[in-house]
Amino acid sequence: MGVRRRPGAFVLKVNPILCDGFGHCHELAPELVTMDEWGYPIIKKELTPFENVGAYESARYAVRGCPRQALNIERVNEK
Amino acid sequence: MLGSQLPRLLHGTPGTPLTLAQHEAAFAPTNPRADLLTELEASGLTGRGGAAFPTARKARLLAEQRGHHKFVVVNAMEGEPASHKDQTLLSTNPHLVLDGAEMLASIIGASQVMVCVARDRPALVNYVKRALHERERKSRRSVKFELHTPPWRYVAGEESALVHWLDDNESLPQYRPQRPTILKLDRHPVLVDNAETCANVALIGRFGATWYRELGTEQSPGSALVSISGAVARPHVVEAALGTPIRSILVAAGAEAMPQAVLLGGYGGTWLSGQNLDVPYDNAFLSAYGASTGAGVMVVLGREGCGLVETTRVVKWMANESARQCGPCAFGLPALGEDLTELSFATASSPAAFSRLVERCGAIDGRGACRHPDGVVRFVRSALDVFGEDVKQHLRGAPCGAIRSQKRYATVPMLEREEELIWE
Amino acid sequence: MIALTSPYLWYITRATGFVALILFTLVVSLGMLVANRIGGTVVGRFEINELHRSVSVVALVFLVIHILTTLLDSFVATGWFSAIIPFASQYRRVYVAIGAVAFDLILAVWVSSLLKVRVKNATWRYIHWLSWLAFASAIAHAYLTGTDAKRGVGLAVVAACALTVLCTASWRYLARPTRAAGRTALSPLAAVRKPAATPNPLRPSISSRPGAGTGTNVSPPSSTPFPRSPSPRSKKKR
Repeated sequence: MGVRRRPGAFVLKVNPILCDGFGHCHELAPELVTMDEWGYPIIKKELTPFENVGAYESARYAVRGCPRQALNIERVNEK
Repeated sequence: MLGSQLPRLLHGTPGTPLTLAQHEAAFAPTNPRADLLTELEASGLTGRGGAAFPTARKARLLAEQRGHHKFVVVNAMEGEPASHKDQTLLSTNPHLVLDGAEMLASIIGASQVMVCVARDRPALVNYVKRALHERERKSRRSVKFELHTPPWRYVAGEESALVHWLDDNESLPQYRPQRPTILKLDRHPVLVDNAETCANVALIGRFGATWYRELGTEQSPGSALVSISGAVARPHVVEAALGTPIRSILVAAGAEAMPQAVLLGGYGGTWLSGQNLDVPYDNAFLSAYGASTGAGVMVVLGREGCGLVETTRVVKWMANESARQCGPCAFGLPALGEDLTELSFATASSPAAFSRLVERCGAIDGRGACRHPDGVVRFVRSALDVFGEDVKQHLRGAPCGAIRSQKRYATVPMLEREEELIWE
Repeated sequence: MIALTSPYLWYITRATGFVALILFTLVVSLGMLVANRIGGTVVGRFEINELHRSVSVVALVFLVIHILTTLLDSFVATGWFSAIIPFASQYRRVYVAIGAVAFDLILAVWVSSLLKVRVKNATWRYIHWLSWLAFASAIAHAYLTGTDAKRGVGLAVVAACALTVLCTASWRYLARPTRAAGRTALSPLAAVRKPAATPNPLRPSISSRPGAGTGTNVSPPSSTPFPRSPSPRSKKKR
């Protein structure tokens, strides 16, 4: 797949206006997303390297699974 | 007063705006400068709306945008209830503000200026209408002016909310993940600047950056309008050179010389303890206390007041002013208000409320689309810091007399039913 | 042009029609479960969402078979375009038209969902609401067009599907989750609670009156600190 060879890292970002607190992101990517007491996601702010394939795949599932399309993956190139 | 070269902005009598003729008699007529952007950069003017972003940098960003139709928006919404500076400025000399807007329009290449004043202030709307009418008759404009009157709300003064209102008739702040983002009004780039900033631009455009820098400090040049309320005989607006010690400003305004604390910046700002009031009114110095000049607001907390009670009232009002687009703000801010109420009343559940409060502040911070929840969290944290002794008292179950006395200092606009704050 | 006159085509049409109806009932019900935030403990919420998406694919497959077998069957002259253009069929014009309307709407919902990343959220939601209309048309089409649906097991199935969706819809409305009200509520079911009263800045609460703000910097119009010509000032007052 070539994912392991990609340099840099990513961070999951949420559009708080679109987010409606469905919670699918927390179920799909628990290592990146926790829930606050009102059902809205608290997303890890630290960068996750692409080598962490499990986390990256979880992030992609979360982006695809969000009913409001509120998530996106932001790539950060550590050059 | 506060500098022999003052007043610069508040030149005239508030409530009796200068006519165009008087304005042109008092100030030199505008000679369009070709190097206006360079002068602005040299002057180091920062925005007076609250964020203190360098005005020249913003203008340059807009000037570099491609597009035939650009807009300039003069933000005189003044969403802060404790702030009256823009109203005072527009009721004293609206033409200074409009001159500045015209200059900014010429810098970025805009053909239209939209002046936004809250429709709940009919007197102000009339002043601006009259001023625009006078300019129209003079017909010396290459720029078209329009007056818009959004309804007054706290977030309506936020620049993305204002542009959204002009576009879609709803004052909803927008999500801007990358800063700086160019705001778009109907797909055209738009420059939003506070009314006081525009007035400063007008002065720099006339008299140059060197003159402008004669007042103020190296990092914060010029003068600023400050709205003082709370423990004053009469709340009003003063103009002070940046860098003046805060205590001098308070004394000049007739406020209590040794107050408990002063709320700086606005309802999303920070408290400054009464012992630290000799710090210069300058962001470079205030940042050491975690404070900033913000929207030029000082609310003075008198001796008989309780900082926690004032904070609670303000937070509950700010929670109601949320646009409710984002969960953490919509649900989190009322929760903060509830916890603060429990803390203020010094009941048995106060310690639990206090720990919940601290935890929730950490959870809400930075998770909204705009900076509204961040401001409230910063405000609450500063209250817990500055009024630490009071917090300890309240936690011990010994509230101060302020709860029972009706003395209140912060102006919190009345809700129809103060208990019915939000929702389900 | 393939023109088959086998009774089996007719049987397949009717059978796949019923199966498609049942599956779409399931899809609509699952969609309502997603919207009401069901799950999170035993079943994951994302699982119900995925089920909703997958079952809709299967349902569409059966629907397509239903349509193809109808078109291929020359025993009833429906014409090739009657599937997507209402009133193009000669056979039972109105009832097949209703079916065509249902199919068009389902196609719109499906395509917009496939392109969900490209489409704006509001647009996608408005199109998705058409699925209610699509389902109603499907029920009407099944009852009116079907030779089986007017009595016996066929009627029971159609009635059961309609009843299921009605009951689930009432539950969807009654058990809807609390929403942060105040913004443009896209759903008419969201309990939009406006904040209490637009505060009047000129009407203070208990504290001192703000007034319109009267400045103390009253200077007579004649004196001005402003230079008439740009000249440097020596004094710098703090």
